[in-house]
Amino acid sequence: MADLALNVRGLSVSYGSDGDRVRVLHDVDMQVARGRALGIVGESGSGKSTAALAVLGLLDKGAAIDAGQVLVDGRDLYAATAEERRRLRGGKVSIVFQDPFTTLNPAIRVGRQIAEPLMMHRGMNAAQAEAETLRLLTEVGIADPARMAASYPHQLSGGMKQRALIASALGCDPDLLILDEPTTALDVTIEAQILDLLEELRRTRALSILFISHNLGVVSRICDDICVLYAGRVVEQGPTRTVLSQPRHPYTKGLLASLPSLSVERRRLEAIPGRLPDQRQPQPGCIFAARCHFAQARCTAEPQALADAGNGTRNRCWRSEELQDTPWRVEAGASVERRPPAVDAPTVVDARGVARHFRSGSFIDALSLRWQGWRPAVAYRPHGVRAVDDVNLTIRAGEIVGLVGESGSGKTTLGRCLIDLVSPTAGDIRIDGQSLLAASRGAKRALLRNAQIIFQNPDSSLNPRMTVAQIVGRPLDQIGASGTDRDRRVRELLDLVRLGAGYADRYPHQMSGGEKQRVGIARALATRPKFIVCDEAVSALDVSVQASVLNLLLDLRDAFGLAYLFITHDLSVVSYVADRICVMRHGKLVEEGATASILGAPQHPYTTALLAAVPRVRLAEAPVRPTA
Amino acid sequence: MAAVPAIDAAPRRRRLPTSLIVGTGLLGAILLLAVLGPLLSPYDLDAMRIDLRLAPPSAAHWLGTDEFGRDVASRVLNGAQSSLLMGFGATAVSLAIGVPLGLVAGYYRGWTDEVIMRAVDVMISLPPIILGLLILSVTTPSLWKTVLAVGFVYVPIMTRLTRSVTLEVATEEYIQAARARVESGWYILFREILPNAWPPIIVESALRVTFAMLLAAALSFLGLGVQPPASDWGLMIAEARPFVTQAPWIVGGAGTALCVTVIAINLFGDGLREALDPRLSRRR
Repeated sequence: MADLALNVRGLSVSYGSDGDRVRVLHDVDMQVARGRALGIVGESGSGKSTAALAVLGLLDKGAAIDAGQVLVDGRDLYAATAEERRRLRGGKVSIVFQDPFTTLNPAIRVGRQIAEPLMMHRGMNAAQAEAETLRLLTEVGIADPARMAASYPHQLSGGMKQRALIASALGCDPDLLILDEPTTALDVTIEAQILDLLEELRRTRALSILFISHNLGVVSRICDDICVLYAGRVVEQGPTRTVLSQPRHPYTKGLLASLPSLSVERRRLEAIPGRLPDQRQPQPGCIFAARCHFAQARCTAEPQALADAGNGTRNRCWRSEELQDTPWRVEAGASVERRPPAVDAPTVVDARGVARHFRSGSFIDALSLRWQGWRPAVAYRPHGVRAVDDVNLTIRAGEIVGLVGESGSGKTTLGRCLIDLVSPTAGDIRIDGQSLLAASRGAKRALLRNAQIIFQNPDSSLNPRMTVAQIVGRPLDQIGASGTDRDRRVRELLDLVRLGAGYADRYPHQMSGGEKQRVGIARALATRPKFIVCDEAVSALDVSVQASVLNLLLDLRDAFGLAYLFITHDLSVVSYVADRICVMRHGKLVEEGATASILGAPQHPYTTALLAAVPRVRLAEAPVRPTA
Repeated sequence: MAAVPAIDAAPRRRRLPTSLIVGTGLLGAILLLAVLGPLLSPYDLDAMRIDLRLAPPSAAHWLGTDEFGRDVASRVLNGAQSSLLMGFGATAVSLAIGVPLGLVAGYYRGWTDEVIMRAVDVMISLPPIILGLLILSVTTPSLWKTVLAVGFVYVPIMTRLTRSVTLEVATEEYIQAARARVESGWYILFREILPNAWPPIIVESALRVTFAMLLAAALSFLGLGVQPPASDWGLMIAEARPFVTQAPWIVGGAGTALCVTVIAINLFGDGLREALDPRLSRRR
């Protein structure tokens, strides 16, 4: 075979103790040719992180390699002695993890954290290691490496930390760099910079890259080849461009169809129904059959082998050739048209001059003691930040307003001000014409029945000690529903969010992320509100699930004339869902306008920068080729 | 319409954790012995036999005799009531005061938090014995006052623990959701936060029961708790300390009773924590 930096052959990995083993990788094959980049994409539970750890030989104690080989530079990682393995790992392979905020030790200067492995693995002395550290930091695009090396991690931004971690990974001059969701925790403009840096490094260093991500846009930008993982199996692999432009496996088709793209054209998203199969149960047939739109009897009976599709790609679907030109389409007959809100719709939310300042430090810290002659004078002087600064915003009935901005822009605080979770320092908020801030407690409760919220994190937004019926029923208790009437309405709400009454007695831990998010939506809908703040409501969900929740939110809007304030960092999602977009930066609205005009002709330079940074699934142009 | 995911096996009925079953059994047996103790004991608890001082275990005296020739087995049986009362009573007192204070401090923050926690700091700065002495010496000693005093001593620990768990739980989005419905403070503290704050509190309480028994014993030893010749495990251990090399059975009898009780309480606490947590229910 050609010169391979990494060759994984028939790798199977399982977790757990003897009686209860769960196989998380099944017969995985993947190759990274020298100087090329392979992207592994998959949703949560697909086994992509396990694959990365297995390649490094860093699996947990509970994990076992059941079969297969990992050849790094032609040598079998798991047949090697511990010492050889350590040398392979130190010299040939490096990894950059997802979260730059926790990967660096907060108590040690950045420079030392980079220099340490240089001294350990490359036998440098302190002075050499320091010089090399500065050189590495320059290489990853740090303008003032000496200052960076002398800093503690908390003094650096997320993007800077990720650069430092990449510098550290490059320290031992690896041939293969593994990147496990390296940009997921970063803002979109920073993400674009890091991706540029990786492309640059790949060219100058002739690096081979194994890039793990859930984001098809990011992968299509960086990688030559792609490997789609589903439930621990490679379902399709091949050159990125071919796989994304002519997907052959139904799962790949589904993923692409559920991806909102940054465009003015409005097609309805096609979700993938169902959820990941329970990996404890043996699956005799195709692993995707249960969710597959095209499944036939043969699919559930026979396991699918990875077969050549003839166009340079391979996939695990016996019907792939026959279905080659059939797109993924689940929701046949659903309305494709989306209704714009009526021009004369009444105003639901009217915020005028809203500001919110946060003081930092405790109450005691804000007290300052001064002496006026012989008399002490205590003054209350809080230090603070202006999270929201003089914002005007109106939302009409049935309108979806997207609020975008990067982390720290104040978009979440603004959303919480509108439903009284945070009280504004200044300004006036009217819901349905009535002032929220001037209302008494009882009046507020009545007002807030019209204004509710859906949260980001499905794991945190439901009380783990309550059943679904208790969670959804509580707002009904508050408005005095009881007995059979209450039960009936709980069932109606569950039907409305397409869960069904069977979910009533479940606890949150018995549901998947998408199901939990639906319960959160049902809870918000219980009091029949007119306005809902969706605070990153789909950000924590996998693409296929995200699509179905977005569709649900849009259907609910069409059915009940709900208005949403859709807060997100994801411009593709907002461009899909919103009628109007507001761009927020440093607590201020910097641009506001209809979705089409913001996307088509952004006025503010910040909006332009945001839009340019969004990674898209690009099919027209080839990824950058390494020259070396 | 998105397809409704198939509903897989309905939530299974949960099996009680083994530790809860064993813990409850042991604790039940101990409580039964404590109640029936005075009836079961073969000798009067303060019947002295000068000729049988510090006698080793024998057929007549299963656990031997103490320095006054009193039957150790009878004294252990009779001492159970006051010991358990001390342990559980004091812990209940500290829970009843400490948990609500911790919830309020951790949820409302701001100056409420400052006031409560600074007051707690002052209490913590006094050694437990001194604090207990302070409370008991101004009034005439009685069993109930010792229970109150010991419970009061452990309030700061419960408050601080509850506050730290509350701080964590209060950041969860379901608390925000409750606030968005304008729920009352009472509902949020006791219905939303407390059930999720229980696990560490239960574990700590199981520990506190033992510490409370020992602190009560120390106070009794100083003459401020159980009055001799009444019997109490802690007091027995404290009084028998000088004879531990000559007559280890006195400390051994009371100590074993204390140990078994502690293990029972810990098993019970652990099992209760597991049984109350829907996430920890057995899946197999």
